[in-house]
Amino acid sequence: MNTVLSDLSATAPITATVIVALLLVVVHSFTREFKTGLYWMTLGGIFIGIYLGVVTFHHTGYAFNNMLMIGGFASLMDIFFLSAAAFTILLSRPYLERTGGHYGEYYPMILFATIGMMTLATATDLIMTFIGLEVMSVTLYVLAGWTRKVKESNEAALKYFLLGAFATGFLLYGIALIYGASGTTNLVGISENMEALKGNLIFIAGCGLLLIGLAFKVAAVPFHLWVPDVYDGSPTSVSAFMSTGAKGAAFAALALIFSVKFEFTNSQVNTVIALLAVISMVLGNVVAIAQTSIKRMLAYSSIAHAGYMLIGMVAGTEIGVSAILFYIVAYMLTNLGAFGVVSIFEKENRKNLDIEDYAGLARRRPVLAALMAVFMFSLAGIPPLAGFFGKYYLFLAAVESGYTWLAIVGVAASLVSVYYYLRVVVLMYFHDQSSEEPVLLPASGMVSLGLSAAGIFLFGILPSLLINTFRGLF
Amino acid sequence: MELTDIIFYIFALVTIGSAMIVVFSRNLVYSAFSLMFTFLGVAGLYVLLLADFLAVTQLMIYVGGILVLMIFGVMLTHRVVNVEISSGAMRVIPATIVVGVFLGTLLLVLTRTKWMVMEGSPDVIGTTSMIGTALVTDYLLPFEVSGVVLLVAIVAAAFMARKR
Repeated sequence: MNTVLSDLSATAPITATVIVALLLVVVHSFTREFKTGLYWMTLGGIFIGIYLGVVTFHHTGYAFNNMLMIGGFASLMDIFFLSAAAFTILLSRPYLERTGGHYGEYYPMILFATIGMMTLATATDLIMTFIGLEVMSVTLYVLAGWTRKVKESNEAALKYFLLGAFATGFLLYGIALIYGASGTTNLVGISENMEALKGNLIFIAGCGLLLIGLAFKVAAVPFHLWVPDVYDGSPTSVSAFMSTGAKGAAFAALALIFSVKFEFTNSQVNTVIALLAVISMVLGNVVAIAQTSIKRMLAYSSIAHAGYMLIGMVAGTEIGVSAILFYIVAYMLTNLGAFGVVSIFEKENRKNLDIEDYAGLARRRPVLAALMAVFMFSLAGIPPLAGFFGKYYLFLAAVESGYTWLAIVGVAASLVSVYYYLRVVVLMYFHDQSSEEPVLLPASGMVSLGLSAAGIFLFGILPSLLINTFRGLF
Repeated sequence: MELTDIIFYIFALVTIGSAMIVVFSRNLVYSAFSLMFTFLGVAGLYVLLLADFLAVTQLMIYVGGILVLMIFGVMLTHRVVNVEISSGAMRVIPATIVVGVFLGTLLLVLTRTKWMVMEGSPDVIGTTSMIGTALVTDYLLPFEVSGVVLLVAIVAAAFMARKR
C-alpha cells in the first residue's frame, strides 16, 4: 500500500492531470453550460501539473514496478507536454467559439491526450508504451473530427482512425516479437541482456515493427500518407496540438527505447533510420513547395522536420538524444505558434486558409504578421531563433558520430525549405492586401503566441539553458 | 503420439481449415460463420497451453461480442444498399508477392530463432486468480490506465453520436 502511494506521488504530474481530467468529465456531466469554468479548471490543472513536474525533478528513478520513469527526463517531458496543452487550450477557445465546435468535452479530451503523451514518453515498459500511445491516439482521432459538421473534419478523423489502427497493429506485433525473444516487455530488463539479443533475428524483426508503429505517429516517410489530409481537415487548434505534442511524445519514446535503453549500435538498423530520415527530409520539403494551402504546407514541413529529428536517432549517442529533445522543444514552440497564427487568421467555413490570403497581412495586423515571421524564420532555422540551434545540434551530432553525409543532406534540405517559409513572409510584407476583412485578435490566443515567440527567442539566444540539462539526463 | 498431441492437431486443423473458408468463401455470411470455428479452435489451443482464462476471454469477447456484431453488421447492411455481398479477388499478383515475402520472413524467423522453451509442463492449475493478483500488484499501472482508454472511448463515442 505504501509503495502505491509513493509511486503515485512520484508520478504526481500524471496523477494530478488524471484527477483533474476525471473531475472535468464529472463536472461537465452535471452542469450543461459551464464552459468558462471548465476552461479555467483545465488551465489550473495544467498549472498544478507543471508545478508538480518542477517539484519532482530531482527525485529520479522508476515507479510502478519499473513501468514509468520518474524525475529528471520524465519531469521535463511532463512539463513540455503540459505546456503544449496549455498553449493549445489558450488558442482553442476563441477558435472553437468562432468555428462552432466549442463543446465542454473538449477540455477533458485535451487533458486525456496529454496524459497519453506523458505516459508514452516516459514509459519504460512496452505495455505502457502501447497503452500510452492508445490513450493519446484514441483521443486525437476524436479531436480530429471535432467540428462534426465540416466534411473535411469527418474525413480527417476517419482516415486517421483507420490508418492509426493499422499502425498500432504493427506496433503491437513488434512488441509481441520482442517479448518472444527476450521473455520480458520491460525495457530495463531487456537492456540488461542486450548483448545476447543483438544478433537475435526475431528481436530485430520486433524492433523493426516497433519502429514502423512509431514512425507512423511521428509522420516519417513512407508512413506519412495520412498527414496532409488529417492536419488540413482537423480543427486548426487540434492540428497544432497533434503536430507538436503527439509528434514530440512519439519521438521521446523512440529516443528512450532505441537510443537510451537498447543502445543501438547496430549498423543495419541505423542505415534504415538514416534512409527514413533522408526521404522524409527530401520529400517533405520538396512537396511543401507546391502547396497552396497553408495547413498542407505546414503538414509537409512537419514531415520534413520528422526527418531532421531522425538524424538524431541515427547518431544515437547522448549528444544525439539531447539534440532530439532540444529539437522537440524548439519545434513545439514554433509549430504551436505557426498553427496558432493560422487558427487566428482562419475564418468560418474554412476560409483564409490559402497562402495567398496572407498577402499584405503586415499592413492590416502588424503584430500578427511579425509573430508569423518569427515562427517561419524559426522553422527555416535562421539564427538567433530556437529552430536554428535545434538543427545545429542535430547536424553536429550526426557529424560527431561519423554521419557527415547525413548532415550535408539535412543542410541542403533545409536550404530548400527556406524558399517556402520565406514565401509567406514575402507575401505578408511586400504584397498588396487581398481583402479588407477585419482580423480579430483574441486576447488568450495572442498570449499563447507571445509566449511561444518569447520561448523561441529565449532558447535561440541561450540554448545552453536547455541543452546542458538534457546532456546530464542519461 | 499422446492424446494431447491428437487433440492439438484436431484444434489446429479446425482453426486453419475454417480460416481458409473465411478467406476463400465468396459469401460474407459464410465467412463470418466459419470465423466462429476459427475462434473456437484458437480457444481450444489456449486450453492446451493451460491458459484457461485466455480461452474463456477469447470465447466471450470474440465469439460472444465481436462475431455477433459482425454478423449483425452484414445482415443489416446488405438490405440497405441492396447489393449482393461477396468478396472477390483483386490485384492477385502484387498480393501474392507481398504475402509470399511475408510468409518467407515468418518461416525464416520461426525456424532460426532460439525460442525460450520451458522444461516440462508448468505446475499450474487455473490462471485466473494469478492474473487477478498480478493485475492489482505488478501490473497495476497498465490496468488503471486501460481504464482511462475505455473512459476516453465512451466519452468520445457519446460525443460523436449526440445530436446537438
